[in-house]
Amino acid sequence: MSSKRVAAFALVAIVLLALDAWLPSWLNPYYATIVTRIGIAVVAAVSLQLVNGFTGQFSIGHAGFMAVGAYTSAAFSVYVGAGWLESLLGLLPAPLARSLFYPLVLASGGLAAAVAGFVVGIPALRLRGDYLAIATLGFAEVIRIAILNVDAVGGARGFSIHAAEHPAADLRFEGFGAVYAVVVVTIVVVARLVYSSGGLSFRAVREDEVAATSIGIATTRIKVEAFVVASFFAGVAGALFAHSEGYVHTNSFAFLRSFEIVVFVVLGGLGSITGAVLAAAVLTAAPELLRGLGEWRMVLYSLLLIGTMLLRPQGLLGNREIDLGWLRKRFG
Amino acid sequence: MALLELRRVTMRFGGLTSVSDLDLDVDPGQVVALIGPNGAGKTTAFNVVTGVYAPTEGSIRFAGREIAGRRPHEISRLGVARTFQNIRLFRGLTAAENVRVALAAAKRSGLFDVLRPGSWRRQETTLCAEAVGLLERLGLSHVADTAAGSLPYGDQRLLEIARALATRPRLLLLDEPAAGMNPSEKQDLGALVARLRAEFGLAIVLIEHDVRFVMDLAERVSVLDHGEKIAEGPPEAVRRDPAVIEAYLGAPDAGGAPA
Repeated sequence: MSSKRVAAFALVAIVLLALDAWLPSWLNPYYATIVTRIGIAVVAAVSLQLVNGFTGQFSIGHAGFMAVGAYTSAAFSVYVGAGWLESLLGLLPAPLARSLFYPLVLASGGLAAAVAGFVVGIPALRLRGDYLAIATLGFAEVIRIAILNVDAVGGARGFSIHAAEHPAADLRFEGFGAVYAVVVVTIVVVARLVYSSGGLSFRAVREDEVAATSIGIATTRIKVEAFVVASFFAGVAGALFAHSEGYVHTNSFAFLRSFEIVVFVVLGGLGSITGAVLAAAVLTAAPELLRGLGEWRMVLYSLLLIGTMLLRPQGLLGNREIDLGWLRKRFG
Repeated sequence: MALLELRRVTMRFGGLTSVSDLDLDVDPGQVVALIGPNGAGKTTAFNVVTGVYAPTEGSIRFAGREIAGRRPHEISRLGVARTFQNIRLFRGLTAAENVRVALAAAKRSGLFDVLRPGSWRRQETTLCAEAVGLLERLGLSHVADTAAGSLPYGDQRLLEIARALATRPRLLLLDEPAAGMNPSEKQDLGALVARLRAEFGLAIVLIEHDVRFVMDLAERVSVLDHGEKIAEGPPEAVRRDPAVIEAYLGAPDAGGAPA
């Protein structure tokens, strides 16, 4: 590993630690919640961008995979993890114990969602366009309704992430460290995937499937890969959501949620990671910042969406990225 | 032994027989032209060989292996590359990316190679250099960073050939590579095809309407009409074949108006 990379890693780690330690004490809890939700929205949007923006498949069921991740990780925490966390807390200082524990929770959500993505993806990705959209939407609803009927995770009452028999283990995530570490990992992984030579296959499938197969790309495989990776990160986003709220309910993963993520991706610009980040951040913050307007809030929010689509039909950034090259061109 | 061997290949779509009982042999390093009037089944023959369609009947062997009915990406990986009649580039990607994606697909780097730090960077550098090299050989290096969709028509045709070559084929199928080109561009293309064959040791099958273009280039010409092979042989002989003249111009004593 080069010294440049070490420096980059160190910088990211320091920023995250600072965010984690300093920001929550300074920010009031209301704004802290918004900051957390922005992070979760970014993870969901960037992962869906891989499927919708780069691979050219139109999935509108991303919230379904978030639900799988949220509930699996919550069940893991409550039924298995709480005991582990309690023993870890007995052995190690609290911050260390938690930073060992969090990745397990997130991985449980991500892996469960990835498996769901694989199972759904194999049949669904043989469909195209509208048909794929409807299949993914249908799947997301099936998942939601199915969870609603599982008593072990609270059914219609929702599921509180709290283990009564392990009172010492507070399972809620605190601070922004976990959320923004995941944000960084998601962006790096997706960027690596789509901007490498091997990852050009994703965009080749989007551009022309017949030509892609003619140069030896197994298109269904590529689509499934994109779908599984996106589902994994959606599951991780779901796990973050569940553990930052401390409570999950299936209403949080209804089709409006899926739709919201599609809006982030389209509005940011199909095929732009930074576009998705920007749109997810702005559109998550906007309804909150507009709260002063009372009932006019959602009207203005809608006008904002309509206006953006009229003025920038290709999305805020089109398919460009705000990266080092772009910054150099503008300010270098 | 022939590199590509078609035996009694038939392709039917419902009641329409598009290719009927076609036999065709292509030896390594040979240039074969496939000619015939519109709707003769030339492109369908390409589509059957490359796996876009599975033939209704018959056998297709490539390098001794049966490939009839295998999927297009598998056939591509065995060493059959093609271009398309109505150019199919990845229009949103740059010229260099169009080539690079084919190089990477041929190397079959998987999802997880991308996430491994060291080898990933090394591979990227090699692939970029290879892509530039290939573009240079086709005289496209000046447009390497231009989006494929905004290239001039002739360059798009060349880029499609470059992308096909990037898969390291042993057999290249060119579907009307000279379509829409002016005479001087056609001449360049002819020279290019001859050079590719020499440099890459490729066998080439090309579909063409311009009989004169084919004459200098191909060792052998096969003529299709209504899905059947009506003549085959060296260019000069085929050109004088009455069956071929009839297919193209109609029979002199047919009575009715020529179609």
